[in-house]
Amino acid sequence: MASATASSVSFTSLSSSLKKNQVSHLKKVSVSFGGKSFKPVPLRFRVACAAKPETVEKVCEIVRKQLALPADSAITGESKFASLGADSLDTVEIVMGLEEEFEISVEEESAQSITTVQEAADMIEKLKE
Amino acid sequence: MKLHCFDRKFFHSSPSLTPIQLPSPMETHLWYVIPREVKSESLLNKYLDILSPCEKENVFQMRGEEPRKNALLARALVRTTIARYQINSQVSPRSLRFKKNIHGKPELEWQFSDHGLSPPLHFNISHTSSLVACGVTMNSQIGIDVEEKHRTIKHNILTFARRYFSKDEVQYLAAILDPEVQRQEFVKLWTLKEAYVKALGRGFSGAPFKTFTIRYKGVAGGSFNPLEDLNPEALQMVVDSFDDPIELTSNWQFVLLELVGSHYAAICMENNVDIEGKRTVPVKLTVWKTIPFLEDECVSGTDAVKTVSGLK
Repeated sequence: MASATASSVSFTSLSSSLKKNQVSHLKKVSVSFGGKSFKPVPLRFRVACAAKPETVEKVCEIVRKQLALPADSAITGESKFASLGADSLDTVEIVMGLEEEFEISVEEESAQSITTVQEAADMIEKLKE
Repeated sequence: MKLHCFDRKFFHSSPSLTPIQLPSPMETHLWYVIPREVKSESLLNKYLDILSPCEKENVFQMRGEEPRKNALLARALVRTTIARYQINSQVSPRSLRFKKNIHGKPELEWQFSDHGLSPPLHFNISHTSSLVACGVTMNSQIGIDVEEKHRTIKHNILTFARRYFSKDEVQYLAAILDPEVQRQEFVKLWTLKEAYVKALGRGFSGAPFKTFTIRYKGVAGGSFNPLEDLNPEALQMVVDSFDDPIELTSNWQFVLLELVGSHYAAICMENNVDIEGKRTVPVKLTVWKTIPFLEDECVSGTDAVKTVSGLK
């Protein structure tokens, strides 16, 4: 679970943390409605254990293929699936593609919290540990 | 299906919205926009003008002109639609505030009434690249999902279904021999499942797709073939949940439509109306095609709206 000892924010109610737009979630709740994700704030400590570039690159490729984006389209770790045009069905297919490519199994709770390439790559590495 | 057509066509030279009466209990209003029909720059700017700073930011985060326009239309549709209901004379599309429930589902934040509770107006939106829709109810939770009829998926349908759908649903799909029909039923099922989860408002992980089955009422055990048997009673969709007790799942009613010949639209709404002791009340649906501030057209009963199931 997220040990937010790095953060000085206390774990007050979820609604107030959403208001401050700070990183204080114990559990990352990120839901997609109508294909659009609502404010997933990347946990700060993730930067310290970012995924390998090759993993990120592979994820980009899978996303590119799923969304039928041109080969030269700019997709980086920060790219949000929704911003690239993915709706909920696309996101689920992307996760399925990742499961196949990396031979992992993603729980639905985790699947829904992946909204960027980086988050997907991080989750993959975590599952392969 | 009862038809309520308020004023077929409205053309305004100045930005204004046709006021609409609030839906009655068990009535759903569905409003949709076809993005490719909205071309006027000045109109798009009017839409941008009514968005909150946060919404504007989200719109500009979208990559590409079309996705950006769609994101803009989605927010504009929600704001203008709700503002039509004239709940309070102080309400304008721009003044509406939204909040999220504990699971992240967007809700109306009511701040104008000092006396009395906020009106129990519920809404939900869904969009594809070619259609944006907003459903509105009173007193009922609502979830909607729209999908292009011809949507294909990259994976094999049964592989996908085995991964994400319930066993019964996989069985249902696997029994369909015609691949095109199978694909259509898959898309319909997807929209229904999405609409249910969105109506529940718990988020995807609150009701994982595998934990519930949506099926035609006539199916359980019998040799009912929904593709041939057109008995409307049997065509009703019901949900069986492995987690929630039966009393709770009977609270949800589904409507499945074909919109403008190109999209499936699923509507899931909470049935908490107890009329004369009858638990199931048929859903009344009114559908409008709109270009906010420009024109509205009530399309219920026209070819634009074909009922697949859920309406009498």
